[in-house]
Amino acid sequence: MADIDVSTYFFTAAVPVCNEGIVEHRSLVGTKGVLKSSPIHIVREILETLPTALQSHATEEIGLNSPFSRNLRTHFTRLVILDQPHFNGRDHSNALVNSIKGTNLLDPQPVDQISCPYILWMIDFDLPDPRGAGEPRRYFEELWGQMAPELRSIFQYCYGFDAVKDAAAFATYILRCQIETTMPFHDYWYVPPKLDPISTTGLALIPGAGVLMLLASLLACLLRWSGWHWAAGFAGWSGWSWMPWAGLALLILGLVIDYYWVLWKGRQPYPASPGADLRNVLKGLYLQQAFTRFAMEQQRRDPAERGAAFRTFLAATRPADLDGPTQPAGVIRSKLPGDGA
Amino acid sequence: MTNATNTAPAATLLDLADIQGGILRTYGDGFPKGRNFYLTVRDARKGRAFVEALLPKITTAARWKDPNREEPLLRTRNPRVKDIARAEGEPDYPGRVQLMKPKVTLNIGFTFTGLLALGVPTRTLRGMPDDFIDGMEARAALLGDDPFLAKRDAVWRDSKGDKRVHILLTLYAQQNPDGTACAELDAETDAIVALCDHAQGGVVLLGGVGPTNARWQDLSAVMRQDGERCWPTNKEHFGLSDGFGDPVFSGQFSGEAERVRVAGGGKLMADGSWQPLATGEFLLGYPDEAQEVPGAAMPIAFSRNGTFMAYRKLHEEVGTFHAYIDEQARRYAQTHQVPHEEAVDTIKAKMVGRWEDGVPLMVAPTFAAWQAFRAELDKARAEKDKAKLAEIALKFTNFIYASDPAGSKCPVTSHLRRANPRDTLGPTFAANGMSKDGSAIINRRRILRRGLPYGHYDANAPADDGDHGIIFMAICTNLFRQFEFVQQQWMQYGLDFNAGSDTCPVIGNHPAEDEPKLVIAVDPETRKPPFICDHIPQLVEPRGGDYFFLPSMTALRMIGMGIIDPT
Repeated sequence: MADIDVSTYFFTAAVPVCNEGIVEHRSLVGTKGVLKSSPIHIVREILETLPTALQSHATEEIGLNSPFSRNLRTHFTRLVILDQPHFNGRDHSNALVNSIKGTNLLDPQPVDQISCPYILWMIDFDLPDPRGAGEPRRYFEELWGQMAPELRSIFQYCYGFDAVKDAAAFATYILRCQIETTMPFHDYWYVPPKLDPISTTGLALIPGAGVLMLLASLLACLLRWSGWHWAAGFAGWSGWSWMPWAGLALLILGLVIDYYWVLWKGRQPYPASPGADLRNVLKGLYLQQAFTRFAMEQQRRDPAERGAAFRTFLAATRPADLDGPTQPAGVIRSKLPGDGA
Repeated sequence: MTNATNTAPAATLLDLADIQGGILRTYGDGFPKGRNFYLTVRDARKGRAFVEALLPKITTAARWKDPNREEPLLRTRNPRVKDIARAEGEPDYPGRVQLMKPKVTLNIGFTFTGLLALGVPTRTLRGMPDDFIDGMEARAALLGDDPFLAKRDAVWRDSKGDKRVHILLTLYAQQNPDGTACAELDAETDAIVALCDHAQGGVVLLGGVGPTNARWQDLSAVMRQDGERCWPTNKEHFGLSDGFGDPVFSGQFSGEAERVRVAGGGKLMADGSWQPLATGEFLLGYPDEAQEVPGAAMPIAFSRNGTFMAYRKLHEEVGTFHAYIDEQARRYAQTHQVPHEEAVDTIKAKMVGRWEDGVPLMVAPTFAAWQAFRAELDKARAEKDKAKLAEIALKFTNFIYASDPAGSKCPVTSHLRRANPRDTLGPTFAANGMSKDGSAIINRRRILRRGLPYGHYDANAPADDGDHGIIFMAICTNLFRQFEFVQQQWMQYGLDFNAGSDTCPVIGNHPAEDEPKLVIAVDPETRKPPFICDHIPQLVEPRGGDYFFLPSMTALRMIGMGIIDPT
């Protein structure tokens, strides 16, 4: 299942935006008053004015953090407007075939169209349970609790969104729009992962038995043909004519089982790399910055003082404690010592 | 993407509220007054703020309700095609309608240097077509404008450096019964001037329009006085009716309205039926007639639903025109033994391809046929025969040239037939008189025509001096392939029509040394000699203009916010 991998859920949804006529939209910001415009136009405006994380000088200057930073499971999220599938021109065809068939190239070919624009929503979030029990419903209910006004503003002009009144309804709504994620991406292992390899013996067992039976039958056949009847009799040929068929059947069955086994194995989520969930990453970023500063301070100190200083450092930064001090979500640098706690 | 099965193409779906209003609809006689502003941007940040401030005022193509919906059918002199839909009881603007018809419409366009001045990223700008980057002045030789460059209005002559025209604002307004513009036009003008003042030199309103160097270009339909009331007409200053037969493309109209408008307005298929032209000929981001998406600037959201416009101020030499027609008519009356008035009307009609009231020569090839057509129209109007009126209305646009390859009904080099040759250039005609290719050769050369006349002249003493003519706007997705081709190959040259280098008798260049002429062919059966209008004087002179990009609302917001990401 491509939705879950490395203890992370990769969620993709296509949410249809009602695009009939115009809407009267009261702007959230500024003094523009009521905007009369097409719903998708307003959705674009909302998305373009939605604060992004404070990860560039320009956004740090604005100081408004992304609402998604309120959630400590969200690695990243992306919202895209899908207007129409892009048309790539006529289907390729052979000029000679066209000529023989008398294809009229002036006849337009049909063009795919979608009847309304969609908001394509992609999210990458941590799973507390690697098997993903109760997800992604649990995540969306959590998210609604943390940023309901923003979610409402983004999806307000989507078909059927009127019915969303609470967290459960929001999760149900978004799940109905879910499409399978076929290409997730995430940070993977920096050391070789501890994988449970597929058993070569297990793979070889059934088809191997089939092959042995076929070989034995072939051997017996050769002996018989060469006139060594006694040897063939010894090999039990006379009463064993079912053996090549059974061998063939076992070989085919074994290959089929192996095929599905390999596919099943391939579908198993990759194990989570250690410390790859968001809270660990934030703590790691915090510690990196804190330790760099600590190391710079120690350069000018007497070596005798360093031990005590390091103990103070450990006490202050609590490396094993994910709850704090740590770097807040959605920013590019920690303001030391960790004010995210 | 295409499907393997070749089923009929689905109707194109357009996000009307994302498309600027002037593209899909002609503001027509509903907005007979107008005002155009030319601005330059000297500070990118202030320029963007100016665009942002204008954004809520921009008129889109979203359907609107007309509070005077119950207007009498066929109020104007000629039946309009949209009257047919109404006569048949169909709404000509179906779909959900939530807006009221505005008193004033506002649309915006940018020159290439304008986009540059507003800080549009280089990568996006690099995706713009060469013709648009060059601008109209650099293309003067191709358009036939070079003899007239020095005569342009100051605003266009000086359009360089910090006086370069960057932004065009076009306003169209409803009028009061006395023929003056509604008060809202002045209010909107004040608002625009105030916005420029607010920009403190960042955005400057450029003056220098016409002989008086006015601050903006005033427009007005030519009026018809009816007692105390003034009615707008579809005539320009030569007294000829204009504005029939605009192309009809997929998505422009819906349902019934498309069905009635497409006849004569869309593309002619080999079987004689009409279909709407591909949307991509007029809006960027959609497949065009070649089944390709026209090249456009990235990101695609910046280009999609936008288009290009050639904007031209065309001065009309009214005195010369009347004198010339009068002189030719005298000779024509003599050789053809007809009254002078008939000769005047005939020569005008042969130059244009339509009689002065818009009746096509293909429908009424002779003066007598035209009179009969008018009598039929008057009768239907008097009897309020809606079905008959609808039938007549269709005739204004629904015709082809198959029966007239030699141009004895409608001269092959008349203005109308040059601008849209329909089936003329199909090299082959089948037994039934149809071109085997329909209008395939023409379909990639169509333009949407918009605009209004400007200025006035004394009808009792028509003169060339003064400031009167037409603001002509051609809208298409590829200026080079569509507008420039029509202008260069068909208007300023005649080889496609076997007319050597004869230019269009109305808007073409007529230098005396070329001995410009128009051959009025006759049916050989009549055994009459053809009539040649010789030494045609210059009748129309370009007085400036430029190429503009008309962005979608999405692109306008991107420009205003400065958030175009071309990666």
